[in-house]
Amino acid sequence: MVVDGLDLDVPAGEIVGLIGANGAGKTTTVECIQGLRRPDAGTLRVLGYDPVTQAEELRPLIGSQLQDSALPDRLRVAEAVELFSTAQARDGGELLERFGLAERRRSAFGSLSGGERQRLFLVLALLNRPRLVILDELTQGLDPAARRNVWAAVRQLHDEGTTVLLVTHEMDEAEALCAQVVVMRAGRVLDAGAPADLVDRHASTATIRFSMPALPAQLLDQVRRLDGVREVGRDGARITVRGHRRVIAHVGAVLVRWESVPADLSVHVPSLEDALLGLLEERPTTDTPAVAQMSLIGAQR
Amino acid sequence: MNTAVGKLVRAELKLMARDPLVLTFVFAFPIVTMLIIGGAFGTRPNPGFDNTNPAHWYVASYLTVVIGATGLVMLPVHLASYRERGVLRRFAAAGFPRWSFAIAQLIVGLMTTAVACALLLAVAAPVYGIPAVHDAWRVAVALSLGAVAFVSIGVLLGSLLPSARSAQAVGLLIFFPSFLLGAGGPPPRVMGSVVRKVADPLPLTLLTNAVREPWLGLGTATGSLIAVAALTVAALVLAARRTAL
Repeated sequence: MVVDGLDLDVPAGEIVGLIGANGAGKTTTVECIQGLRRPDAGTLRVLGYDPVTQAEELRPLIGSQLQDSALPDRLRVAEAVELFSTAQARDGGELLERFGLAERRRSAFGSLSGGERQRLFLVLALLNRPRLVILDELTQGLDPAARRNVWAAVRQLHDEGTTVLLVTHEMDEAEALCAQVVVMRAGRVLDAGAPADLVDRHASTATIRFSMPALPAQLLDQVRRLDGVREVGRDGARITVRGHRRVIAHVGAVLVRWESVPADLSVHVPSLEDALLGLLEERPTTDTPAVAQMSLIGAQR
Repeated sequence: MNTAVGKLVRAELKLMARDPLVLTFVFAFPIVTMLIIGGAFGTRPNPGFDNTNPAHWYVASYLTVVIGATGLVMLPVHLASYRERGVLRRFAAAGFPRWSFAIAQLIVGLMTTAVACALLLAVAAPVYGIPAVHDAWRVAVALSLGAVAFVSIGVLLGSLLPSARSAQAVGLLIFFPSFLLGAGGPPPRVMGSVVRKVADPLPLTLLTNAVREPWLGLGTATGSLIAVAALTVAALVLAARRTAL
């Protein structure tokens, strides 16, 4: 078992991201949530139901787009929509239209491209007006335009009050969509919070780089003394300043004051990806997880 | 019929109709081998065949070859391939109870068997003639029980074996000895004692006895029928336990 002591509380109506390195236990976690895998021990409640003993009541309330799943090759797109529709299903045709699959209604699943398959899975996940939508590697294989289209659909779900659990390796996706992000490693939660808070906690260092062949010594002194600056490095004409994010504004102001804004000025603002890398490096885990304990996903109304 | 099961059965039948080649083994193999071996020993009553017409002996035996091919080869490969590719996960996550998929496969397997048997008889009729059925009830009961037993074994194997390739390997490994020793091969009277000892307890042998003997009026085969009934219950229970999460 790869998940241990996981307390994952997903408030209803929010988009919560589950991120972490490969093998962190993200997919195991969502499989347990859906009742596709039985935890060895512990308690797990999803929308108030036990996914193992009350799977029949729970599964109609969940829509999921799973990693590594497929449909029969010769099943056509429209047939899949019909097969997976329940009494409370949305208009499948409208969903196919929204995700650019209307033209492929009569196409067999086996003939769809990777991106089209992902979009079809998304259609199927949303089809029956689920209360909780689980999206595992949602935009894998999608081109940038299709990705934005899918992001818009997820935001629309949020606006409609649907709870979304998003498992992703794409940090920009988590930052763009999630109100809360849970970082996992080796089956444990390392930290959780809003993306901006995680960035503040684990990757607050911004980096500014510029070149200035005739660098006035006073300018460099001013930069060193700026509030939040942690490190100023010089390699020939190349200057690197590291510090808190607010340093970006201060350094910019100094350069403007000296009327010498370099053409190659570049700024690296810490992102969720930096926070994840920082977090994964911070606390190495030595013990092997053994049991799962999860609770209250989307149960708070 | 449960809605989930009904939808799955309809979808599976539609997919099958679109890819008839998957049925080749179940539909063509028994017919082709029956035509070959049925003609090999002539049509005059032969002591090796309990003094019956050898062609009729094989016609009365080959319905169980269809049942064996469906349960031991077609279904395990089909189900294992679905699991390997994540199709079963997809259906389970969408709210289809696992047992609904197993029941749908059971129904589709039984329908396939019925059609393949009808086709086999339709081909046999003009070539060798269909022998008169002496005890229709016993034959019908044995065929029904046997079909449920072998289709359940197929569902069980399909849920246990990890991939389509392994299901094919294991399925053929079980099917061909069963076929040669118990249904479509030489009659028991010409087998050596050791081979016969191996052949007698095989499930397909028991089923073939339970169908052939009352069909040709050679006996009631009550012992074989009871064994097939026991096998049916065991296979059904095991398949249900395996697929009911």
